[in-house]
Amino acid sequence: MAELTDEGQPSGQVPLSELFIALLKVSLYGIGGGGLVWARRIAVEQQRWISEHDFADIVSLCQFMPGPNIVGIATCIGTRLRGVIGAAAAVAGFLVIPWTIGFTFGVLYLQHAHNPALQNILGGVSAVAAGLLIAAGIRMLLPHRTRPAAIFFAASAFALMAFAKLPLLMVLLAVAPISIAVAGFQRVSLR
Amino acid sequence: MTSPSDPLTLTMRLALLSSISFGGFPTVLPDVRTFVVATHGWVTDQEFSNFFALAQAIPGPNMILMMSFVGWQVWGLPGAIASAFATFGPPCTMYFASYRLWVRFREARWQPIVRNGLVPVSIGLVIASGTVMVGASYTGWASLSVSVAAIVLMLSTRINPLWMLLGDGTIGGFGLL
Repeated sequence: MAELTDEGQPSGQVPLSELFIALLKVSLYGIGGGGLVWARRIAVEQQRWISEHDFADIVSLCQFMPGPNIVGIATCIGTRLRGVIGAAAAVAGFLVIPWTIGFTFGVLYLQHAHNPALQNILGGVSAVAAGLLIAAGIRMLLPHRTRPAAIFFAASAFALMAFAKLPLLMVLLAVAPISIAVAGFQRVSLR
Repeated sequence: MTSPSDPLTLTMRLALLSSISFGGFPTVLPDVRTFVVATHGWVTDQEFSNFFALAQAIPGPNMILMMSFVGWQVWGLPGAIASAFATFGPPCTMYFASYRLWVRFREARWQPIVRNGLVPVSIGLVIASGTVMVGASYTGWASLSVSVAAIVLMLSTRINPLWMLLGDGTIGGFGLL
């Protein structure tokens, strides 16, 4: 387990095999899109590889990039800990075994009829997974609770996405520039 | 139905779409459907929606799996592997490069400003996608209370979330949700 130094850099090198296995866990546990929950729990809480702030940085960076966000989170965690080879180990851990299992299962399943019992199980799992995602978001917001502007823009993005049902790209383009401008203004007026 | 150049055409198209899928791969799903169902007829609408449902149900990288099923339909196992790489490869390279830039400019004066502006927005979006998923899995008061219980347990205890998922899969399996 690597401790964080003042610069937030891990002091010992995380073995590639640990990185591979950690991201494998994130991938396998992340049923129904819960990868973010597990990435945070494993990388921040259990292994203490990265700080809560660094994790929030990674998540927001990945929101703005194209592609599957959670693969981006794996790439960034790997890059953070071991550079390009760490990124490769993290992405391989995240993808290779789960893909092989999922693909094999899927191809077999596609040759058979639809199963209503399976559908019911998935319904229960998705209700919990959704709740866990909300809880992970609330946990990430806690360090920012002293900044009213942060709460306001988090709430705006939430409302535009969840209630106004705008496409993600539109929400980002509408809220992010104003949020950055306000953050810049507050910084200037503090000086 | 398929010609020798089809695997390349599909792979190139997926690589292009994954490179512009700002906000996650689901945002380009309509484009994928148009390309593989309407334009090329490699996959029927029924098959395409089966792939989608199945990929959502399997743990792991669901959009990559879904594209693998499409690739498998066009060119068997090599097609599946090529489609998987086309879906995650270009974005991974971009993630790597942009994270490197982000870390390099760690000391830059603009970075705390951009961070203070961006982070709350993305946290709001995480909570929103959780809420949208609660809506998607909503079947009545039982499923809603399960979601609320999950939020409370996750925030107030250190219980392993896997137990909650297992417990609820079981309850759901008995048709109680």
